[in-house]
Amino acid sequence: MTTRRNAIRQRNTGVIALCLATLIFIMPFVYIFFMAVKTKKEAALFLFSWPAEWQFWANLTEVVQTRNYMLLLAYFNSTLITVGAVTLLVIFGAMVGYVLQRRPSGWNRLIYACILLGLMVPPAVVPTIWVLQGLGLFKTIHGMIFIQVAYGLAFSVLLYRSFIGTIPRDLDEAAIIDGAKPWQVFFLVILPLLKPVTVTLIVVQSIAIFNDFTNPLYYLPGKENVTVQLTLFNFQTQFQSQFNLLFMNILLVTIPPLLVFIFFNRQIVAGMTAGAVKG
Amino acid sequence: MPPVSTSSVVLKALTKSFGAVDVIKGVDLVIAPGEFCVFVGPSGCGKSTLLRLISGLEEATGGVIEIGGQDVTDAEPSQRGIAMVFQSYALYPHLTVRENIGFGLSLARLPKAEIAAKVEAAAAALQLMPLLDRKPKALSGGQRQRVAIGRAIVRDPKVFLFDEPLSNLDAALRAQMRIELTELHRKLGATMIYVTHDQVEAMTMADKIVVLNAGRIEQVGSPMELYNAPVSPFVAGFIGSPKMNLYTGAMAAEMGCGTYGIRPEHLRLTSVEPRWTGTVRHVERLGADTIIHLDVPGLGEMVVRADGDASPAVGTPQGISPMAGRAFRYDQVLPAQ
Repeated sequence: MTTRRNAIRQRNTGVIALCLATLIFIMPFVYIFFMAVKTKKEAALFLFSWPAEWQFWANLTEVVQTRNYMLLLAYFNSTLITVGAVTLLVIFGAMVGYVLQRRPSGWNRLIYACILLGLMVPPAVVPTIWVLQGLGLFKTIHGMIFIQVAYGLAFSVLLYRSFIGTIPRDLDEAAIIDGAKPWQVFFLVILPLLKPVTVTLIVVQSIAIFNDFTNPLYYLPGKENVTVQLTLFNFQTQFQSQFNLLFMNILLVTIPPLLVFIFFNRQIVAGMTAGAVKG
Repeated sequence: MPPVSTSSVVLKALTKSFGAVDVIKGVDLVIAPGEFCVFVGPSGCGKSTLLRLISGLEEATGGVIEIGGQDVTDAEPSQRGIAMVFQSYALYPHLTVRENIGFGLSLARLPKAEIAAKVEAAAAALQLMPLLDRKPKALSGGQRQRVAIGRAIVRDPKVFLFDEPLSNLDAALRAQMRIELTELHRKLGATMIYVTHDQVEAMTMADKIVVLNAGRIEQVGSPMELYNAPVSPFVAGFIGSPKMNLYTGAMAAEMGCGTYGIRPEHLRLTSVEPRWTGTVRHVERLGADTIIHLDVPGLGEMVVRADGDASPAVGTPQGISPMAGRAFRYDQVLPAQ
C-alpha cells in the first residue's frame, strides 16, 4: 500500500518539477515570440500578452530586408567566422594538447602555465587593436577568426590535453611500430578517438562565437563586416526603437545555435560519459 | 619442414639510463634465428625496457643492437623489421578488426587487393574470419589477443616481440594461448622474443630463457639447463614452482657454502633418520601433488612437494630428508629475491 502511495507521490513530484522547469525555460522564448509578432505600438508596451494583431510575415520580411538585406550578410559573416574559428580551435587545440600530454619536456610546465594564463588574464581591447592594425588584420574577417581562436584556444587545449591523457600510450606505440609517422599517429589514431570531446567543443565554442557581441563590436567595425548580434542595433537607436522588429531579429538569430544544439545534443551527452566507463 | 627465419638478434654491451637511473646495465646476448627466447625476471628488472630497446620505442644509451645482421641501433621502429604485441593489445578502438590488422599495410601504401588478401590469410590462420567487421570493444579478451597477433603476423616481420601478452587473460585461456603461441612459432619459424614475469610461461614456451635481475643478465640457457643448473641463488629461486627452499646463515655454513638450496620436489617426508624435523603449518592439495609447508626450527619455512595421497595433519611433526645430489650450494650469500 505504502509503496504504491510512494510511487504516486514520486510521479506527482516529478511532473510538478518538469512543469516548473518547462515554464522557466520556455517563458522567455514565448515572450520573445509574442513580442516579435506584435505591431510596433503594441510591442512598445512591453506586456506579456497575447498579440492583438499578428504581424509575423510583415515583421519577418521587414527584418530581413532592412538596410539592404544586412541580416543575410550578417548570417554569412557570422557563419564564416564560426566555422573558421572552430575548425582552427579543434585542430590546434588537439595538436597542442597531444604534444603537451605525450612529449616529456621541461618546457611543458611553462607552456602549461602560459595556457592557464590565457584562460585567466582578461583580453585588453585597445592593445589588441594596435596589434591587429600593425599586422593589417583590423577590420578583416580572418582577423576576427584569429581573435576568436586566440580567446578560445586555452580552453580547448586544456580540454583535449586531459582527454588525451585517458588514451593509452600503447596505441601511439603500436602505430609507430606499424610504421606511422608522427602526423599519421595523430591524424589516423588519436584524432578519431577524440570525437566525443571534439563534438562538445564544437557545440560550446560555435554557440559562443556565433553569439559573440562584444568582440565583433570592438574588432570588426564596418558595414560590410556586420555579424548577427550586431544587426540588433538596426532597430534600437537613441531616438527610436522598434521592439517588435528587434525581437523578431533576436528570434531569427537564435535559430542557428538552437539547431546546432539539437543536432549535437545526443552526442554531447554520449561524449561526456564516454570517457567515464571504459569497456 | 617449416620455414626457419634467418634473422638473429644480437645485443652488444647494451645500456639504458633514465636520467641518473641505470635500468639496463650492459647486456650482451645472442638470439639465434628462429629461436623462441623468453626474458623473465621480477618486476622492475628491466625486461620490458630491454624489449622496448629492441623494438626501437626506447633509444639505447649505449651499445649496439643488430637484427638480421644489420645494425639497427639508431633505426626507426618501422625499419627494424619487427612486430610487437602489447600487454594491453593496443588495438585501435575506432577501427574494425580488418582495419586493425591491415593498418600497417595501408600505411605502407600497398595495393588494396594485396592488403585484403594478407589480412584474410592472417585472419584465417587465427580463426578470426567471422569477426573481421567487428570493432575491438565487441571482442573477448582472447579474441583481442588474436587480433593483436594478427596485426603482427601480417607485417611479415623478421622478429616478433611480445610484451607480457597473456597477463590480462584468465588462467584457462592463458594455458590455451601458451599452446597456440608455441604452435604459431613452430608454423612461422620466426624469431620471437617474449617478455614475462611468469616463470611457468618461460619454462613451457621457451627455447632459450634469459633471466634478468636488476638490469643485468643473470643466466641464459634452455629451460632444463636453468632448472638443473641455476648459476646463482637468484635464478635458483626464480625458476621452478613452488620455488626452491634457500637458506643462508649457520645451516649454509655447516654445508660449506654461503647459500644452500633444495627444491621442494627433491625433499622426501621420512621417519627414518630425517635430516630435519619440522612442524606442518599448511597443506595445499593439488590432486597429483601435495605441497606441504613446514616450520623447521632454526631454518624457518620449508616447502616440500609430496605425493598426492600424502596428507600429514597440520601441527604434527614431520621428518624431512633431501634426495642425494640434488641440493645446490652457492658461495654468494644473497637473499633469494
